[in-house]
Amino acid sequence: MTALLEVEGLKKHFPIHKGVFSKVSGQVYAVDGVSFSIGRGETLGLVGESGCGKSTVGRTLLKLLEPTDGTIKVGGEDITGLGAQAMLPYRRRMQMIYQDPYASLNPRMTAGEIVGEPLIVHNIGTPAERRERVAGLFERAGLRPEAANSYPHEFSGGQRQRIGIARALALNPELIVGDEPVSALDVSIQAQIINLLMELQDEFQLSYLFVAHDLAVVEHISHRVAVMYLGRIVEMTDKRSLFEMPLHPYTEALLSAVPIPKSSARGRKRVILTGDVPSPINPPPGCHFHARCPYAMPRCKTDVPALREVIPGHFASCHLHDGGVKVPLGAAA
Amino acid sequence: MNPRQPAPRVMNGTAPESPIESAQTVLQIEDLQTHFFTPVGVVRAVDGVSYALKSGETLGVVGESGCGKSVSALSILRLVANPPGRIVGGAIRFEGRNLLEFSEPEMERIRGNDISMIFQEPMTSLNPLYTCGKQIAEAVALHQGLSKRDSWDRAVEMLRSVSIPEPERRAHAYPHQLSGGMRQRVMIAMALSCNPKVLIADEPTTALDVTIQAQILDLMRALQDKYGTAIILITHDMGVVAENADRVVVMYAGRKVEEANAAELFDNPGHPYTKGLLGSIPHLDTAARTDTKRAKLNEIKGMVPSLFNLPQGCSFAPRCGLASDHCRNHKPPLEEQRPGHWIACWHADRVLGGVAVGAA
Repeated sequence: MTALLEVEGLKKHFPIHKGVFSKVSGQVYAVDGVSFSIGRGETLGLVGESGCGKSTVGRTLLKLLEPTDGTIKVGGEDITGLGAQAMLPYRRRMQMIYQDPYASLNPRMTAGEIVGEPLIVHNIGTPAERRERVAGLFERAGLRPEAANSYPHEFSGGQRQRIGIARALALNPELIVGDEPVSALDVSIQAQIINLLMELQDEFQLSYLFVAHDLAVVEHISHRVAVMYLGRIVEMTDKRSLFEMPLHPYTEALLSAVPIPKSSARGRKRVILTGDVPSPINPPPGCHFHARCPYAMPRCKTDVPALREVIPGHFASCHLHDGGVKVPLGAAA
Repeated sequence: MNPRQPAPRVMNGTAPESPIESAQTVLQIEDLQTHFFTPVGVVRAVDGVSYALKSGETLGVVGESGCGKSVSALSILRLVANPPGRIVGGAIRFEGRNLLEFSEPEMERIRGNDISMIFQEPMTSLNPLYTCGKQIAEAVALHQGLSKRDSWDRAVEMLRSVSIPEPERRAHAYPHQLSGGMRQRVMIAMALSCNPKVLIADEPTTALDVTIQAQILDLMRALQDKYGTAIILITHDMGVVAENADRVVVMYAGRKVEEANAAELFDNPGHPYTKGLLGSIPHLDTAARTDTKRAKLNEIKGMVPSLFNLPQGCSFAPRCGLASDHCRNHKPPLEEQRPGHWIACWHADRVLGGVAVGAA
């Protein structure tokens, strides 16, 4: 699998302004040095709790936000420093699906206009060809063709998400960033959209960056999963290894916190973390997770653990594995 | 506007006797009907729902948006906005007395005292202008008649019991100064401050991250063990129900379609909707192991019908793979198919027998 997208040391800091002269009084370290790659036809799931920076990663790599540092390469070409005009050809190759289909569709445009708009922006085809293309996209996304003349408020949440998907597909992109694309939907509708996304991926060899907080959904749709905590990736591997052998204590806690819809799940032993996610304005020194970590050692408070390949293909940033791989994590040293 | 509702007992012959002995039952909802009268028609949000709650147990109420799970809970406390909403039928018996016959002042003595509620979004349910301590103390002073000083002490004690660090200091904090998880703890502290017999938790952890959700559910269980509170846990998350509820009620389009013990429901779902719902959720363990070929999730085709014009027969028939003409024309009664397992489906025996619930 050749890498379609390569991200290296990506940082996005937001300055905090204060006072009459908007003096910069601090930084929100939303994304603080994130590296990963996505192959063609591959889904990388990005999970973490609110405020961990997962959505900011998605937006920054589409350059909807200007990265503070790091490089973003698409098909081997560096797009980090490109301006709006130079970005245009790359925009065709990278699209986004948003969480809230209510907020992301223009209420004054019909569904057909919404789906066809990217074709107009990029000057593709004649009006007749565009109409045909829109009809094809509607069919592929599971919408009735006559729905093209309806406005967004006339659709249900699931159908609106299908409109968002049809629009994202309009330019035949190679990469789609989905920012919590199914979180706002009811479970029975969620399954329809997940299935649609997987079918489209197989059909068009799409690459996905699937950003979500629901681990079960991410494990289902992804090939590999990256876990983020407070602006950094703490673990990244194929989904099976992540589930069966988490190497980071945060991943372990996250997996055990997910409720399982089975009768046998009752009374299951779990790791319950104490406290909340710290603020990304003044993240704790050393390992960001040390204050909530059940296995924290003195050095975790001072030394930042690097994300390294602990086992081939399995990356983790935790001092527990410094003297060799330690599995399970709870075992006494 | 008269808040008192007449309570005609419309027994349509389908509302079941509760499987729970009434001796232990604290709250019993009988054939509840809450309708919304809108300019474009009547929405039968809750259309003949019955369930009972025993002391010390957790009853899970599950269903998708618009199934009536929240409206039925709000009806218990008579908090449905009128107009447009009105409880048009049924009874809500709390310790044997019908709450629908209570006057508003009598109802005020019940709310927050005997029956209290936790909402999904703590930021909108806490008053931003008062400190957390004051809001809890207010409820305690009102219902328990404690002095200002004693009720403040009680508020601090409650904050401590929900594991808020430094409760003396946090009692002086305003809601916006706390994180989402902390706010939900304050809501729980407030809801439990008068030792209610029934706690209605409406999606209590939906707005929270999973690690915080685990903390809050753990806390609710511990408090239930300590105080013996009966809990109605309303949620759309089947995992939360599986791990926390003793019994489960599944709702669809304003009606109860299935009720059973949690273990029985998850092992032997008897309604095609329940079975479909369980099949449509990705499971963490199986999802992780299908690394070569990602499995397709079982979909439930179509969507929840509009409550303005429900199908004539079974509401689920248009989406159901087993639906026959009989289903489309006749509403299935809720029947006890196995001991304690109630199902409203003409094909319940086939579903229990393991027939595949394919798409329509």
